[in-house]
Amino acid sequence: MNPVSSFFLLAGTAMIVLAAIGLIKLKTPYARLHAAGKASPVAFILAGIGAAIEVGWAGAAQLIVAGGALVVTLPIAVHLLFRAVHSTAPEHDPTLDELGRDRA
Amino acid sequence: MSVVVLVVYTGLLVAVGCAAVRLFQGPTLADRVMALDLMLIAFMTGIAVDAADRQDTTFLNLLVVIAVIGFTATLAVATFMERRERPEDPS
Repeated sequence: MNPVSSFFLLAGTAMIVLAAIGLIKLKTPYARLHAAGKASPVAFILAGIGAAIEVGWAGAAQLIVAGGALVVTLPIAVHLLFRAVHSTAPEHDPTLDELGRDRA
Repeated sequence: MSVVVLVVYTGLLVAVGCAAVRLFQGPTLADRVMALDLMLIAFMTGIAVDAADRQDTTFLNLLVVIAVIGFTATLAVATFMERRERPEDPS
């Protein structure tokens, strides 16, 4: 296997392992969602670059479309989960709560 | 199957295991949904690595479908949680 693609595959793996460790170790739901939701599409994109170098142009096009779909959809999903945490778990509210002030 | 692919699969399994721990003990529902999302992305990464390992682009068609279905599921659960009433502040 090409050393460049090996590097990208290992970098993506390291990124998703870091995201999972953040999902376990952090204290508040906001921090956990932030760690897992922001790092995981980066992990898929890094691993996808490595795989695209290996499989050639036809596979690279499919990987680009999949990475684009992930980048477009996942931040929206994480944002909606943040709002859901805010509306169901008030004990984790931050000190400056602008969403709760606007809703009141 | 080379050493790099074995290391990558092991790392993906570790990530899925961490997400499973958070899935079973997560205090809020959003934690569990995010754990399932992380599992899904690890699965997508595994499909990409498998395609690179076997030089076979057949299963890459699945990636977009999995991404869109996972987004739809997360959106449905978030909407369901939003509709719950916010409990009164203890203050």
